[in-house]
Amino acid sequence: MAGNPACERFVPLLSPYIDGELSPTDRVNVERHLGACRDCASRAADLRAESALLRVGLEMAVDEVDFKDFTQRVMARVTPERPPLLERLRISLSEMFLYHRTAMVSSLATAAALALVVIPMVMNQNDAPMGYGADRMRVSAVRATEGAKVAPVVLESDDGNTIIWVVDQEAAPAHDGSESRPKAGNPPDESDELDGEPLKKGPAKTVPPKGGEL
Amino acid sequence: MATDDLTLVKRVRGGDQRAFKLLVERYQRKVYAVALGMLKDKEDAMDVSQEAFVKVYKYLDHFKGDSSFYTWLYRITVNICIDVMRRKGASGGETEEFDESVANDLSEARIGALGSRLGTNPQKSALRRELAEKIQEALATVPEKHRAILLLREIEGMSYEDLSRTLDIPKGTVMSRLFHARAKVQKILSEYLELDEAKSGVGSE
Repeated sequence: MAGNPACERFVPLLSPYIDGELSPTDRVNVERHLGACRDCASRAADLRAESALLRVGLEMAVDEVDFKDFTQRVMARVTPERPPLLERLRISLSEMFLYHRTAMVSSLATAAALALVVIPMVMNQNDAPMGYGADRMRVSAVRATEGAKVAPVVLESDDGNTIIWVVDQEAAPAHDGSESRPKAGNPPDESDELDGEPLKKGPAKTVPPKGGEL
Repeated sequence: MATDDLTLVKRVRGGDQRAFKLLVERYQRKVYAVALGMLKDKEDAMDVSQEAFVKVYKYLDHFKGDSSFYTWLYRITVNICIDVMRRKGASGGETEEFDESVANDLSEARIGALGSRLGTNPQKSALRRELAEKIQEALATVPEKHRAILLLREIEGMSYEDLSRTLDIPKGTVMSRLFHARAKVQKILSEYLELDEAKSGVGSE
């Protein structure tokens, strides 16, 4: 600090001074002091240089970044653009068959067994089967093709997660409310035995959220 | 004339996705700059920037419109940055006692070093570039709340009034935090300058 005791008062005002945030009175006082005090004039110059440096430094860093996809990525997160449900299902199913054949078969078996107990609870629903949490999610049963063996139940939550529950139609009653035709070989009474029991339903196959990337 | 923020916000509320896209494009660079200045890490800064816009979209109904859209956007950005720093346990800089150190700040290393060496002379752009690269390191030594103010002031050019509203602190606190943040950054930059001079021989200019 150069011996000038006035500096102590003015130094804290230099920062708001270069920001143009001083009252007119303070500004005049600061300017009068700056005219008389070389140190404070230098301090003000330092502050201006620093301020410019900060801007330049960050601009340089920002220039290195490619913002080409930025908006797109944000938009994808706020409005997950999704292909039609059917298309997504086809993709998911074909992926499952491609990459998880074994898991798929065993989960189908599980699903088939499960279906026997669960389906009667939901069989009277066409598009939004009961018991899948339709109050919290969009629930629908989808058939990829006419007479498809698989009519998965698709549960979509608001945050973009999708659960696809695959059941084997051969082993399960149809969703359209038509008569239940248990496949020969399956114990026909099983569903009756368990009917009415508070069964926990669990997805046979959970597909990771697809929202953003599809 | 570009459509103003509040008009765009209204359109977004009415379901116009393109309006939100315009808002993102308008602020993406500045939001990223603030995040980068706060976090130093490029990837973190990018994640935070995206998160900030997603949050803004999600909570657009909570935006009252009694303050500017951008003060709200920056507040969200800064808060996410602070969350990230806390989570990583590396907030950097010192704690709040920083404010007590006025006396230290007044005994600057070298008065006028920065101003006289840089000035506005384009010939000195090499040095400016070199120092600009040190900016992020210098910023990292500033306590997070001071850093936020400094960044918002320099990047967005926010008035003290806006800063006070954005960060929910009195105007006097804005002024003193800015002062201390600048003193701190200046100290670091002067040290670089000295190192630089020592390397190239004093008075090499």
